[in-house]
Amino acid sequence: MENSGAQLAQEIQWIKRAQQGEPEAFGPLVQKYQQRVFSLVYHLVRRRDEVEDLAQEIFIKAFRAIRSYNFQSSFVTWLSRIATNHCYDYLRHERASRVSFYWQMGEESQQELEANAQSQPEDALDHEEQLALKDLVEKLLERAPENDRKILLLKELQDYSVEEIAEILNLKPTTVKVRLHRARKRMLEDLRQWREENKRS
Amino acid sequence: MNCDYLRERLDNLWEGAESAEVTRHLAECPSCAREYRDLRVVGAGFRLMKREAEPEPSIGFAERLVRQLGELSKAPSVAEFFERAGRRFVYATVVLTFLALLAIVLPATGPVRGLSIADIQLSGPEAQMANADPFGESSLQDAPDLAPEEVPAPAATHEVK
Repeated sequence: MENSGAQLAQEIQWIKRAQQGEPEAFGPLVQKYQQRVFSLVYHLVRRRDEVEDLAQEIFIKAFRAIRSYNFQSSFVTWLSRIATNHCYDYLRHERASRVSFYWQMGEESQQELEANAQSQPEDALDHEEQLALKDLVEKLLERAPENDRKILLLKELQDYSVEEIAEILNLKPTTVKVRLHRARKRMLEDLRQWREENKRS
Repeated sequence: MNCDYLRERLDNLWEGAESAEVTRHLAECPSCAREYRDLRVVGAGFRLMKREAEPEPSIGFAERLVRQLGELSKAPSVAEFFERAGRRFVYATVVLTFLALLAIVLPATGPVRGLSIADIQLSGPEAQMANADPFGESSLQDAPDLAPEEVPAPAATHEVK
C-alpha cells in the first residue's frame, strides 16, 4: 500500500489529530487500513467469525496507543505490530484443535495428493485436495513455535518484505532472514516427524 | 537423509527458483526428492491459504468504531475523576490516621520534660507552696471578687503639681 506525497501528508495530519485525542481523525485511518488488518487477523487466527471483533479491538488499542507512534516506521507497520501481538495474545488463550482433513485421509490418498501437488499447480487440484493442503499447513503452523509461525505468516501469507518484517517484529533484517530459513526448515522437518508419528499410531 | 544439497538451497527453492542442476540432483537423490516433495506440498498449502477470500469489514465498521472511540474517550475522564478523588481520599486518610496516633501517644498535658535544676533547688516555703498549690488555683479561688474601682491604685510616689 504505497502512499503518494499528498496522501502521506494527509495521513500525517490524521495521525497528529488522533494523537490530540480526536476519534474523528482516526476514522479515515481505519477506513484506509481496515482491509489490511482484517487480512492479517484472518491469516493469523484463521477464524472468520472472530475477525471483526479482533480487528475492532486492535483499532481501539491502536487509538489508545497512538501517542506512542513516533513516525519512525510507516503507520501500517506500526499498526501491523499491534495487530500481530494482539492476535497472539488471543491465540494463547483460545487455541483449539480442529478436525484435520489431511490426517483423516488414508496414507495412499495422502501420497496421491502429494504427488498431485508436485506435478500440477494447486489450482488444478480438486476441492477436497485443496482443503486438505490448506489444513495441513494450518496444522503445521499451529504446531510451529510462535516465532516461526509469526515470521512464516508475515512472509508467506502477508507478503511482507524481510525489511518490513524486521520492523514489525523489532528485529534486524539479517536476523529475520536467519529465522525465516530456520522456520522453513523446521516446518519441513516437523512434517516428516508428524508423518512418522501418524504412521506409528 | 544426510544430503544437504536441498537444505542449502531451501530459501531459493521455497521461493520457486528451480534450475536444471537441481532437477538433475533430485533425480539422483531420493532423500532430497522426498524433501522437495514436502516443500512443494507446504508451498501449495500456503499459496492456497493466501488465495482464500479474506473476510471484509461489515458496512459501517469504521463509523461504528469512531463512535465507540468517542464514547470511550469520554469514559476515561470519569475514571480519572474517581482515580484522583480516590488518591485524595487515601492521602487524607493517611494524614488523619497519623494525627489520631499522635493525639493518642502524646499526653494531654503537653510535652513531658525531666526534672530541671530549678525543680530540685525549690525548698522551704516556696516548695511547700508549690506542692500544695502548684498552679496557684486556690489563691485565685480564695481571692475576693474585686470591682475595678476597688482595685487599689499603686501608691503614688511623686505628686504632680
